[in-house]
Amino acid sequence: MLLEARQLRVAYGDATAVWDASLEVDEGEIVSVIGPNGAGKTTLINAIAGLLRCSGGELRLDGHDLTRVPAHRVCAQGIALVPEGRRLFTRMSVEENLEIGCYVPAARAARSATLERVYSLFPVLRERRDAMAGLLSGGQQQMVAIGRALMACPRLMLFDEPSLGLAPAIVDDVFDVVRRVREEGVSVLLVEQNVLKAMEIADRAYVLEQGRIVSSGVPQDLLQQSHIREAYLGV
Amino acid sequence: MPSFTLLGQSLVSGVLVGGLYGLVALGLSLSWGLLRLVNLAHFAFAFLGAYLVYQMGTSWHLSPWWAVLLIVPLFFALGVVQHAIFLYFRVVELTSLLVTFGISVIIESALQWIWTADFRRFETPYASVSLKIGAMYVPVVELIGCIAAAGLAWATWAWLRWTYVGKALRATAEDPEIAVAFGVNQRFLSFLLSGVCAAYAGIAGAFIALISTLAPSQIWAWLGVVFAVVIIGRLGNPLGALIAGMLIGAAESVAMATFSPAWAPVVSFSALIVLLLWQPDWL
Repeated sequence: MLLEARQLRVAYGDATAVWDASLEVDEGEIVSVIGPNGAGKTTLINAIAGLLRCSGGELRLDGHDLTRVPAHRVCAQGIALVPEGRRLFTRMSVEENLEIGCYVPAARAARSATLERVYSLFPVLRERRDAMAGLLSGGQQQMVAIGRALMACPRLMLFDEPSLGLAPAIVDDVFDVVRRVREEGVSVLLVEQNVLKAMEIADRAYVLEQGRIVSSGVPQDLLQQSHIREAYLGV
Repeated sequence: MPSFTLLGQSLVSGVLVGGLYGLVALGLSLSWGLLRLVNLAHFAFAFLGAYLVYQMGTSWHLSPWWAVLLIVPLFFALGVVQHAIFLYFRVVELTSLLVTFGISVIIESALQWIWTADFRRFETPYASVSLKIGAMYVPVVELIGCIAAAGLAWATWAWLRWTYVGKALRATAEDPEIAVAFGVNQRFLSFLLSGVCAAYAGIAGAFIALISTLAPSQIWAWLGVVFAVVIIGRLGNPLGALIAGMLIGAAESVAMATFSPAWAPVVSFSALIVLLLWQPDWL
């Protein structure tokens, strides 16, 4: 198992946001976590990325304990984040944003090859490599955010609401990119409010509500459950 | 109307003094722009450096150029210690003003205790040497100071622009959390930058010792104009600090020559207010 979370608990001070969450991501899998606003999806993904400390439970990548790894060393373990709202370095150029992605020594050594891969995946970024990232359109910014994570040569990519705030046509492009990322051998953990898209792309999915995982399984089965149909699809 | 020679001479002197403004502004601009800490103690550090260069020169007969080699590592360590204190007390942008004001007062008192409140002048053989170019006189020490300021500003700009550490510093200034997620050791880099800023204060201090008269209360004399230079040059922009320093220096000097010396302080703040109201794209 690539990523393994057992009884993971994440809290902001006294307020626990994620309770005893257990989930797994296998090599080459796309796993989605769906749930309403405020369910703790971003908290969960930020804890896996090392941005938040876990207050309980286990978190392992390839069997190695991640809970004691300092935040700035998580990336070197093979985890890269595409954060909610993209969070680019807006006053830096597109290429500089990508270069921050390969800050970790191992990724830095592969810089030119990975950069070439990212530019062939997103040709428009090559054209705009010297533009300030903050001046790009929303869709292009999302490409930079995905490219930046790819530059880290990760084994697991965490996508936090990648479709948020994007035009419908661009949303399809983003999900195509997630598929291509997987084809390159990178596993994907995806958090999404766009339930249909997230289910369509995933091999397996978890449902997170009020900080607890209430249901999990293959998307076809989950979509049959009446609770999920009512709460997320409105049918 | 003053003569062209006088105007030209005041322009040259102004640019040279402005280079020193830029040199003092450099470290302040970096810590404000990239660490989000407004380090008022930067001026006190510079004068501490100036007094140390003066002392080493007068009692050990150590040339200021050698003194700088001692000052740089010493002040780097001072900057690291200062940052450790900042982290320990969780100092942020606003509180840093108060804390570093306190540190400045402490250093000012220490300077006064050790060197008294008397004015001191570091006498060096080259202090009065000038090059004569056409009708203009160019004081050699100030020229070297200006060249040092330009070299340091350019090197810092290149460091921030082209190295991974420099890019990481800029990224951290904008979104520390995401920079850390990509492997940037923010804590280590903040110590490094704080050390570099203090070392720059030490270097500026060496030139202050060579160029101007020293008194402990002088640490406040530079505050206004250098703050204006830092803001006009854009926070965290080394070349901006240098260029703004030279422009302000030249404007001050020309104002002194055409109106009266009393007008000099008006120039920097007028420029600051005009630029803040106008807010051009490049600022």
